[in-house]
Amino acid sequence: MTVAIRTTALSKRYGRHLALDDCTLTIPHGRIVGLVGPNGAGKSTLLGLMSGMIGPTSGSIEVLGRRPAAAADQLARVGFVAQDAPVYGRLTVAEHLVLGARLNPRWDNGFAVRRTRERGLDPRQSAGSLSGGQRAQLALTIAAAKRGELLVLDEPVAALDPLARRAFLRDLLDFVDELGVGVVLSSHLLGDVEQVCDHLVVLADGRTELAGDVVDLLDAHHRITRRPGEELKLPAGAEVIHAETSGGESAMIVRSMRPPAGAEPVDLEDLTLAYLTRATTAVPAPAKEAVR
Amino acid sequence: MTWLTWRQARAQLLVAAGALAALAIYLVFLGGAIRRFYGERIAGCEGQACHLARMDIRAGFDDTISVAMVLLLAVPGLIGVFWGAPLVAQELEQRTDRLVWNQSITRARWLAVKLLVVGLCGAAVTGLFSLLLTSSVSRYDQVVGGRFLALSFASRNIVPIGYALFAFVLGSVAGMVLRRTLPAMAVTLVVFAAVQLLVPTAVRQHLVPAVTQTVAVDAAVLNSGVGMRLNEDDTFDLQGYVADGSWSLDFSAPLSKADGSSYTGEDARPCLLPEDVEGGDACVVAQDLHFEYTHHPAGRYWTFQWLELSLFIGLALVLAGFGFLWIRRV
Repeated sequence: MTVAIRTTALSKRYGRHLALDDCTLTIPHGRIVGLVGPNGAGKSTLLGLMSGMIGPTSGSIEVLGRRPAAAADQLARVGFVAQDAPVYGRLTVAEHLVLGARLNPRWDNGFAVRRTRERGLDPRQSAGSLSGGQRAQLALTIAAAKRGELLVLDEPVAALDPLARRAFLRDLLDFVDELGVGVVLSSHLLGDVEQVCDHLVVLADGRTELAGDVVDLLDAHHRITRRPGEELKLPAGAEVIHAETSGGESAMIVRSMRPPAGAEPVDLEDLTLAYLTRATTAVPAPAKEAVR
Repeated sequence: MTWLTWRQARAQLLVAAGALAALAIYLVFLGGAIRRFYGERIAGCEGQACHLARMDIRAGFDDTISVAMVLLLAVPGLIGVFWGAPLVAQELEQRTDRLVWNQSITRARWLAVKLLVVGLCGAAVTGLFSLLLTSSVSRYDQVVGGRFLALSFASRNIVPIGYALFAFVLGSVAGMVLRRTLPAMAVTLVVFAAVQLLVPTAVRQHLVPAVTQTVAVDAAVLNSGVGMRLNEDDTFDLQGYVADGSWSLDFSAPLSKADGSSYTGEDARPCLLPEDVEGGDACVVAQDLHFEYTHHPAGRYWTFQWLELSLFIGLALVLAGFGFLWIRRV
């Protein structure tokens, strides 16, 4: 397995605020990685560290085996679209493609021209007058036409209406296929990424709560419902991630390699919510024990 | 990267080129007028006519030349404020750094090209303006002198190039550190103005050790427009002496007699001949007085021009070096 991103005890501090706290992750190459978490969870910080826009306070990060943005050739391997897809307002769409061509040795101009045409971008229009969706398309085109090995997209669909989101993501899948690149994309809404990602990282409050291939994660988690008076029997090594009681009946999300008796499969949304809820309701350690 | 830098700076560079062209036309016209005046009234003039012509060239051209000088002094400040301060700050403000720093080019190279292309354009605009002004008013300068005067020195020949480079890099680095254009503009203006005040008043004269020379008071000295001032302790100072083309560092110097003692009111009384100015002067000359003249000789003009240019280029380089360190952690 080649590794796209490896972080070791990665932390980033802004003044007194710890934006990313002791994050250790290994993300295989060639995946479409969804990075999910509430606003302020540290998603942009982690993506910024991946792109090399910012440097870590402590710990280390390697992207495709090297320190991010270490040199021009490393920059060429990673395409990054920052949040809100910044572009030069006074440059036209065509000029942005010239910019890309001048600044990137592996620039694929045919791809860039074709893609802007297909997305209905007028080459003579100034980027400042593009709609949010068009700007996102332009920024993505520039990042993709670099022909790097990894695309890092920070909230690429946040500015889009629901219809455009769906189209954007479907289009992303298409050209990821065409270019053969790995992708990391973040969103504060799981719904945005779950349609496309095959690897999931859940961040909350600067910490990784969950990370893994979607298939493995779904395999390892189960939903159990316990009726009042029923005794809970869990296999050895099982962990209750989240339990919810209503009317005496409790529903649990359990992590276990072997499915417990009466277990039902979970979907990605249940799973993510379970981890995020666990992260936000700060349960003291003894109480956690009592739940088990 | 050169293309992008040119594309981003195109509008401002074209405006500057247009303004420079307009100025050039005006300065060539002004230079023609000054040279014509010089050819008709001053070249080969004699006696009183010469004196009048010298007064007239001042009266005729002082105002226009002053305006051009002040404009030239302002140009580096404008370059620092309007080209330097937004250079990086605007990218940070509009978050386009996130776009451009993720192309296959390091930040250091990005900054280097931006600083070089725009900075050299700024230096060229300022340098051309300065050379045009210097050559246009060369006859005026020759007649009026005073090229070590703070305003004249700073608005002739090569030093304005140094000011422009310094102001530009200062603005860029201020923008990089403050991350916002408007505060960076303000800081650039204040710091540059402070440096432009500090250098002529406190720094320039110390770049080379001054020369102190004993000057005998003869008729030429007395006719050069000096004054004698009686101090409260009954001694005399000679005021306003400037040897031809030199830079006098003290406006007044105590007058001494041949034996080294102070020249007093008592000593001066025999020469007080209000009815006969020439006789009075001859009487003073006969008293064999002298004073100490602390100055930089005229021949040092280009030494000072080069030193000051080097000083400002050095400051610009130091600031740029800091900028390259800083941009890695922006």
